[in-house]
Amino acid sequence: MKNKFIHIAFPGLLLALLGLAAAAPHLGEVFTLKYPESWPQPVYDFQKNPLTKEGVALGRKLFYDPILSRDSTISCSSCHLSYTAFTHVDHALSHGIHDSIGTRNSPALVNLAWSWSFMWDGAVNHLDVQALAPITHPAEMGEDLAHVVEKLQATESYPNLFAGVYGDEKITGERLLKALAQFQLTLVSCNSKYDQVMRGEPGIEFSEQEKRGYELFKLNCASCHAEPLFTNGEFYHTGLPMDSLLQDEGRFNLTLDERDWRAFKVPSLRNIEFSYPYMHDGRFKKLYQVLNHYTTIRPGVSNLPYYKFAKGGISLDERGKVDVIAFLLTLTDREFLFNPEFAFPKE
Amino acid sequence: MRFSLLFLILLSAALSPKAQDLVLRIHPRVQGQELELGKETEGFQVETLRFYLGKISLWKGNKMVFQEDNYHLIDAEKPASLEISLNVPTNRAFDHLQFELGVDSLTNVSGAMGGDLDPTLGMYWAWNSGYINFKLEGRSPASPARDHAFEFHLGGYLPPFATVQTVRLPCKTSPRIHLRVDLDQFVTGLDLSKQARVMSPGAEAVELSQKAAQIFSCEE
Ligand code: HEC
Ligand code: HEC
Repeated sequence: MKNKFIHIAFPGLLLALLGLAAAAPHLGEVFTLKYPESWPQPVYDFQKNPLTKEGVALGRKLFYDPILSRDSTISCSSCHLSYTAFTHVDHALSHGIHDSIGTRNSPALVNLAWSWSFMWDGAVNHLDVQALAPITHPAEMGEDLAHVVEKLQATESYPNLFAGVYGDEKITGERLLKALAQFQLTLVSCNSKYDQVMRGEPGIEFSEQEKRGYELFKLNCASCHAEPLFTNGEFYHTGLPMDSLLQDEGRFNLTLDERDWRAFKVPSLRNIEFSYPYMHDGRFKKLYQVLNHYTTIRPGVSNLPYYKFAKGGISLDERGKVDVIAFLLTLTDREFLFNPEFAFPKE
Repeated sequence: MRFSLLFLILLSAALSPKAQDLVLRIHPRVQGQELELGKETEGFQVETLRFYLGKISLWKGNKMVFQEDNYHLIDAEKPASLEISLNVPTNRAFDHLQFELGVDSLTNVSGAMGGDLDPTLGMYWAWNSGYINFKLEGRSPASPARDHAFEFHLGGYLPPFATVQTVRLPCKTSPRIHLRVDLDQFVTGLDLSKQARVMSPGAEAVELSQKAAQIFSCEE
């Protein structure tokens, strides 16, 4: 088997020394993140938040615990379900506390250690601080981090669990956020049929149709949905007409740079079969709708010079579209989707 | 590599000459008087004043004689935060004080932090990652907003709207530095009827951050 993995691990001694210098966790058993050798280095700086088994378990418990919301009705998993690639499938726009609706579709949580920006517009610059957004957004979890920390400190179980990770029972914003990040960093999907074919695993091959789809994909899509993560992490305006109600200007809101007007982050296409609805506002339910959009973009949607689809959309005939979809389905990673380590923690 | 670096640091800390505590005392003021939160003076009142003061250094001419790398959250509501102890080696003469008003861009992209940088402290923007460098809230009849409120949450680290300011002030050698923050200079320098609320990064935040950097001085 050519199934080689890189292991990120830290020798205990080095860890203990770093632990002196920073508030980094220095207890517990080292957790090794597995990913294929051919992948790029993760972006996430694990030295500032070394993974431990206890830290990951704590993060997982927090991820599934509605204690993070004001009326204890919703947790992270309400919008990011593990068996749907950690996205929220029923609603185009994620429902939050008091049933108020956020303005964007919840993205799939996958291979986050390789992302250098978060959210559809990249407004969040680090995985650690991502959770602040749902926790403090009135339309989502409607809580204040300081209050969440107080609530956790007052529970029976959490102080002890934090002590197991950080050495003492004090719960802080930093510790809470880093634990949540630890769990999310373990959400690595790298065992789809595509990955197995790429690794040359015996007996696993693309069908003729998948092969044709892969070639078309490399030609038309991979410049943005770059292998092996299926995103280049950049932001583009894909010619979607603006939803007149939401008036979402995308990354422009953040940078105030006209080149970012209506630009959204290129999402990974891993597990795309399960992460519908699609696009930042969840406007498409089916993959063929996404492809129909790409093939019908007309020139002039935007005449800004940097616009990628200035000359019109991607040209694919009906058969080509079906082939591309067949390829996209090879990105489904059942081991990831149904991994019991990612599911609701049963004690 | 890391080991030796760490040992060097520990070693140099152990061998360094005796240090004394130099106190940097911060004095938020209005019209030369110590600030009283909620009290009306000069046609305005301040309800909240909080800012980050970091990377404090002392200089003798062009030579840096002392440097700290961390950040302090100054909060007018918390008297203890108005006094910073600096571990300066004895007999170090200096003539300038330098610090950053706000948090630098590297720190802004480094994930969750603890201590004075803990995101529970209300100085972090959840939906547009980054620290709020300087927060001033209050009321003035000049403000057309509801309850005549004014609110300035200044921050942002992405170019071209980076807001962190380096402040360098003449400052005499002394075991106690008194750093004045003249808030009336900031407020009266604005036209509150047009600009009473800046709460996100952008050109306005940059302009106001530059103004905020002007209101510091060392008491002679
Ligand atoms: C009410 C639904 C909802 C809840 C609850 C929720 N999220 Fe999200 N999540 C979203 C939406 C919507 C987005 C995209 C927001 C945007 O782009 O502005 C998102 C984005 C994210 C992202 C960024 C993914 C990427 O690749 O850019 C992460 C990570 C994430 N959420 C983790 C969490 C965690 C951790 C929690 C619990 C603390 C949580 N979410 C709670 C709806 C939710
Ligand atoms: C110019 C860069 C670019 C190219 C080329 C491109 N995409 Fe995309 N793709 C994006 C961006 C950006 C989005 C998110 C758009 C939004 O939500 O507004 C996206 C979204 C998608 C989605 C929805 C994913 C989700 O989770 O919601 C699918 C599916 C998709 N693209 C497939 C393709 C396929 C197949 C091709 C080739 C035929 C392709 N893309 C070519 C940039 C690109």
